[in-house]
Parts: sequence; structure tokens; C-alpha cells
Amino acid sequence: MDDIIIAILRSGTPLVYVTLAGVIAQRAGVWHLGLEGLMITGACATILGIYLSGSVVLALIVAIAACVVGSILFWFVIEKLKANPIIAGLGLTGLGLGGTALAVQSIFGTQAAVNAPFGLPRLGPAFGSYGVLSVFVLLMPVFVFAMWVLLRRTRFGLKLAACGEHPFAARSVGVNPSAMRLAALMIGGVFCAIGGAELAAGSLQIFAQNMTSGRGFMAFAAVIFGAAHPVGAAFAALFFAVVGAIGIRAQLIFGDNVPHDLLLGLPYIATIFGIWLSTRLRGGNKTAASFGELRDY
Amino acid sequence: MPATRDHPQPALRCRDISVNFGDVTALSEVSADFAPGMIHAVVGQNGAGKTTFARVAAGLIRPDAGEVIVAGNAVRTGNVNDVRQAGVELVHQSFALPPSFTVAEAMEFGASGSGFLYSRRKLEQRWQAHLESLDVKVDDRARVRDLPVEIQQSVEIARALVADAKILILDEPTAVLSPSGIANLFERIEKLKQRGVTIILILHKIREVLSVADTVTVLRGGMRVEGPIDCAGINAGQLAELIIGSAAPREINADDRVALTGAGTVAHAESHSADTTAIPMLEMQSVSTHRDAEGPALEDVSLVIRPHEIVGVAGVEGNGQRSLVRALSALSDLAGGTISFEGTDVTRKPLSGRRAAGLRVIPFERNVEGLSLSSALWENWSVRELLQKSLLALIKPAELRKRCAQALTSWSVVYNDVSQPAGALSGGNAQKVILAREMDDDARLILAAQPTRGLDIGATTFVWQSLRSARERGCGILLISSDLDEIFDICDRVIVVLSGRIVGDFSAPYDIAEVGAAMTGAVR
Repeated sequence: MDDIIIAILRSGTPLVYVTLAGVIAQRAGVWHLGLEGLMITGACATILGIYLSGSVVLALIVAIAACVVGSILFWFVIEKLKANPIIAGLGLTGLGLGGTALAVQSIFGTQAAVNAPFGLPRLGPAFGSYGVLSVFVLLMPVFVFAMWVLLRRTRFGLKLAACGEHPFAARSVGVNPSAMRLAALMIGGVFCAIGGAELAAGSLQIFAQNMTSGRGFMAFAAVIFGAAHPVGAAFAALFFAVVGAIGIRAQLIFGDNVPHDLLLGLPYIATIFGIWLSTRLRGGNKTAASFGELRDY
Repeated sequence: MPATRDHPQPALRCRDISVNFGDVTALSEVSADFAPGMIHAVVGQNGAGKTTFARVAAGLIRPDAGEVIVAGNAVRTGNVNDVRQAGVELVHQSFALPPSFTVAEAMEFGASGSGFLYSRRKLEQRWQAHLESLDVKVDDRARVRDLPVEIQQSVEIARALVADAKILILDEPTAVLSPSGIANLFERIEKLKQRGVTIILILHKIREVLSVADTVTVLRGGMRVEGPIDCAGINAGQLAELIIGSAAPREINADDRVALTGAGTVAHAESHSADTTAIPMLEMQSVSTHRDAEGPALEDVSLVIRPHEIVGVAGVEGNGQRSLVRALSALSDLAGGTISFEGTDVTRKPLSGRRAAGLRVIPFERNVEGLSLSSALWENWSVRELLQKSLLALIKPAELRKRCAQALTSWSVVYNDVSQPAGALSGGNAQKVILAREMDDDARLILAAQPTRGLDIGATTFVWQSLRSARERGCGILLISSDLDEIFDICDRVIVVLSGRIVGDFSAPYDIAEVGAAMTGAVR
């Protein structure tokens, strides 16, 4: 049983962090499809940082800086250049996937995976068999709670939600929706960096091209599934991780009796099912009316 | 100007304010001084610049030139925080509260100071007390979207007063209210005046101005034509003259004048009764619909419209008007009942079938439902016939452009080229394009939903004349409007909707008090 829970936490934790980034962006009115690109940027920067500097702290700082810069770029394109956020988000994802590959190629002269000498600090023997997990697994509920407080129990959170839902209302009490979106995206950048770091260095110590393999999009699905509520979305992300773990377990049990690809596809099927279910339950997403568009009024 | 006893320092002073939106001049060198502790009205027709003026004063729009001076101190124009700091608050026409917020959250997000973190209970206690002090009776855990409009407005006023507001500007606060709701609002405003708040009301009904305001300022075409002057020194006729101006686009008859300015009671001189023996153009029998997000469902609605008849639908917005239009145009499924056009049952016919039978719709949102703003004028105009043709029927753009040009010219649309996008037109011209499309010779039953909303005098009277001439041709017309003066002026019969039901049926001469009472459910 423990090994299943460990597997779920390993695959679920990076997803939860990236989901939180999606939640705060969604609340500010930005449909964030650049999560995938920021996540892989965080993963790559962490491994390269550890490899080149030998310091986890320095590596995390580099990863966060890279993701925050990526988020500012995203904000600039959608807010100042008025690009469609959906397209710009997909562009950011492309930039992240291609940029990380290019970085690895230009530093090592090869497309092969990069191994770091060590990863993020682990919980250690005090946690028994869970000691193999990284400290960010333990911090995950703390960050979820912190995000909930920020969004649901501070005036900042109310203003942010107003910017997403009714920007004119925000403007008429003196809030600048554009600045609030920048803040939301930058905070999201930090979480994407942590999510990417956890993915690459939480249980592994490796960066491979395209290693996020759609997790950023799954995180976005969790945002929608969880109605942009930090706790709801975090549970949605964990649900996807559970389905993924079941898929892997099923492979071991059924072997070749069930097509391998079908089981690997389970998390994605669950994602589609989850979105369908959440639409059924809530009668459509409340932000769907402005699908993807930034609104100023 | 030094403050003296005769000339106390104005609470709000606007000097030479000019605002341009692109080529359009919204305000041109408008100056006005508003004395403290009084109720000031700013009136004018649509397009006169009233809302722009309010937004400049509230810091939402930075004027191209001019100064805003609050209690003797110039504020940075176009800076909401500065203006709010100085004690100026604006209540918007269509309220600016996020719909999913609870009342307490809506209060809190615009507040300043007093802590960073809050608990739900602390928040509710704080704002419940504030709401009680203003005599607003609402559960502060209720969500904004679930509140009736009158309560929403009270909440928005309470939101504006969370800080120590000295000047409260209300932009067309009466537009969405029933007559009794207006009376309640004015009572509330009188109380605020007694507390020492200076009130500036943006209005467009003379009746309302004279019943509540101390002074009146008239805007026309972005210019100040009069005021602020003492309301005691002016009568309704003079005010109407100032609002409409002598250079009105065409002769406006006496009733239309009254209806445009709300200067009195519409006499409804040209009332005529429809032939009750004729086959009804529309007959709805016990129609019910399912509830959806856009408003209440229709419940047991029966309605007959005969040829040569304009039937008005009065009611506070959100009481089933949209459901009615959707049910008639086959955009929603009926839960029960039948609909027939000229004796033919069309209950199961889709919109295309109903349009073939002569149904035409002038929709609520002309820029969303009525026109495709990015498409060319000729495309917008010709969809009527193109949609009636078979899927593979040949389209002849050259011919359509030519006919479109003829049609638009005969409807006196001002445009450059039939290939220009519809979004480039002004509101009045855009509405005329819709009229040119929907009021063709084959039209039998016309649904006109808020056809004059946001239009200036010329365009408004144009729409009224068009509806009247369609009536002369024998069409049946359903006019949905939240402007009672408009309804009384041009309708032969008026029904009142409340929560998806028809609760009143009136014919001329109309009594505004009776119709108003029906709108709020005070009778029957």
C-alpha cells in the first residue's frame, strides 16, 4: 500500500504545484496554457543548476527566476501586445519545450538526458518508507493552504477575483487589472518552477527532453475540474495522479492482456472525464463566457 | 474663488473638461460647480456625454483637457484611487459588482485599511453593521448574482459608502428600477443628503429631476447648455426644450417629446384599437419554459397580438423578457403550451420556419445578437434571405451589395461603403441596419427588444416611426422596453411581466402608478 501512496505523491506533487499556478492565473482572468512550458523550464533549470553550480538552493533560485521571466514575457505578450492568451500560452509551451532542448544541446552537444549528481533534499529515514520523498511533498499541503488563504481570505484575493470576473468593477475601485494579472502570473511562475523542480529532482535527478509529457495541460484540466478553487483543484490534480498510479499498477497485473497504450492513456481519459463531470455538476464554467479572452470591461 | 457665505466652496468643481474617443467628441469644455450638501441632477439625452462626465469625475476616464477640483483641491484626473481618497464615489448604471461575490466580499474588496487577513465571520459582522446603518436589508452571505436589481443597487450604494464618501455620483440609477423602486431610491438619497453627502444624479427623465433634485445641469451633444441652476426656477417644458434643443433632427410630435424627456404624462393621442375579429398575428397559449441561467422561466403565459397592433411588455429587467423572446424565436424548448402565427401552429417549428412565416427579431444586444461586427454591412443585411435559402444555393455578392446599398439608403443609414464592417457604425446607424434587415415587406410579427436603448433623439424617434409604419402595414409588434414613457407613447396595449408571468394587461390611457404597481407585484 505504501508504495502506491508514494507513487501517487511522487507523480501528484509536481502536478499540484503547477495546478496552483493555473488557479491563481485563472482567478485573475488568464487561461494559462503556458503551464507546460514553464514547468519544463523549471525542471531543466533545476537540473542544469545543480549540475553546474552544485547547489540546490542556487538551482531553485535559477529555476524560479527563469519561470518568473517566462511569466512576465507571457504577460507582456497578452497584455501589452494584446495577443490572444490561449495562443500565447501555447506559444509559451512551445518556447519552453524547444528552449530547454536547445539549452541542453548547446551546453552538452547532445540531446541525451542530463543527470545531476543529487536532487532535492529528501525527508530522510525519520519518515520510514516515505523518506524517499522530497521535502516539497511535505510542503505541498502547506502551499495549498497558503494559496487558499491568499485567494479566499485576503483583500488581495478578492481584488484578483474581481479582475478575473468583472474587470470593470475592479477598475472602478481603483484596482489595475493589468498589474494584478502580472502579479498573479509571477506568483504562478514561482509555483511552476517548484513543480518542475519536483518533477525532475524530487525523486529522480534527471532532465530529459519533453519529460513533462503533457502534465502542464493536465494541471490546467485540474484547474477547470476544481473550479479554480485552490483546494478543489489540488484534489483534482491528486485524482489524476491516482488514476495514473492505477494505470501503472494495472499494467503489472494484467500484463499483455490489456493494451499497454490504453492503460498509459488512463490519466488523460480521466482528465476528459473530469472536465465533462465538472461541467455537468456546475452547469458550465463561469468564466467560459469570456473563453480565453482578456477582458477590460 | 474664495469661499464666502453666499458662494460656499463647491464640493466638486469641473473646469473645461474635454474628452475625445477617437474622432468622437464626448465632452467639450464642460465646466460646472456643484455646491456641497445638495442633490444635483445632470440630465441630457443618450450621447449627451452624461456617463462620460460621471466617469471623468470618478477618475475612470482621463480627460484630454480640464481639471477636477474636490473641496478646493485639484485631484489627479484619471486616477480612481486619488479621487476616492478625496471622497468621490460612483455608482454605475449596470452595477460594478462581481456576480459571484457575496455581499460581504463585494463590500470588502473596495474597502481600504483595517487588516490584511480576515475570517468569514469577521467580515460578515463588519459589513452587516454597515448595511444596517444604511437601512439596506440583505443577508450579506447572499451572492450578488442572486439579488434582485433594486437590492443590487442598494448594495452598490453601500459599497460606495464604505469609505467616507463626501460626494456620491449615481449614473442613471433609475433606468433599471420600477416606479416604486425609484421612490425608495430617492428616499434613500434624501437621507444621505441629510448626512451631508453631496449627491450628483445622472438622469434622463425630467419628472425625476424635478421630484428629487435641488439643481439641474443640462448636457447636450457633449456641451453644457445650462446649469447648475435651481430647480425651483425652471419648469418641465423649459427643461425639455433645453434637453432636446431647437435643432432637433426632424419634427417631433408632442407625445414623443414628452416620452423622450419624461416631462409629463403621454397623452397617447393616436391610440387606435386593433380589429379584434382578425386572426391574431401571434397567439401564445399557456406557454411555459424551463428555467435557465439568463432569467426566470415563463409560466403559463398567454398572449394575443393582432394585426395593426403594438403590444408593449413592461417590467423590471430580468423578469422573463429574454425568455419570452427566446421562446418566440424557438431558441429555447417549451415546457408546455402552444404558439401560433396567424392561425398556424408553429410550436414545433424551428426559427427558420418561423422566420419564413414572417417572424422578425430586433434583438436585445444589437452588437452581439443583432450584428456580426466584423462582417461587412452587406453580409449582415443579406443573412435574412440567405438563411432562408437551401444550403447549396448560389450567392451573388455583387447583386446583394447593390440591393443592400439601396435598402440602407432608403433607411437613411449613414455609411461609407457596403463592404465596411458593421462594427464601424454608430449605435443609431447599427440599429438602422438591423431595422433594414428585419422590417422588410414580408415581416408579419416583429419582436422589438429594447430597440432604442442607448440611441440618441434622432435615432430613437426614427425607430418609433418605423414601428408605427410597420403597424400601418398590418404587422403585429411586440415591444419590450424598460422605459415606461416609450411604451406608453407607442403601444396600443401594455402587458406587465413579473417573474416570468403576465401580471397585468392595460390599455390607453395608461396610469403610471397602476402599471408601476403591477411591475412590483403590488396588485393582483
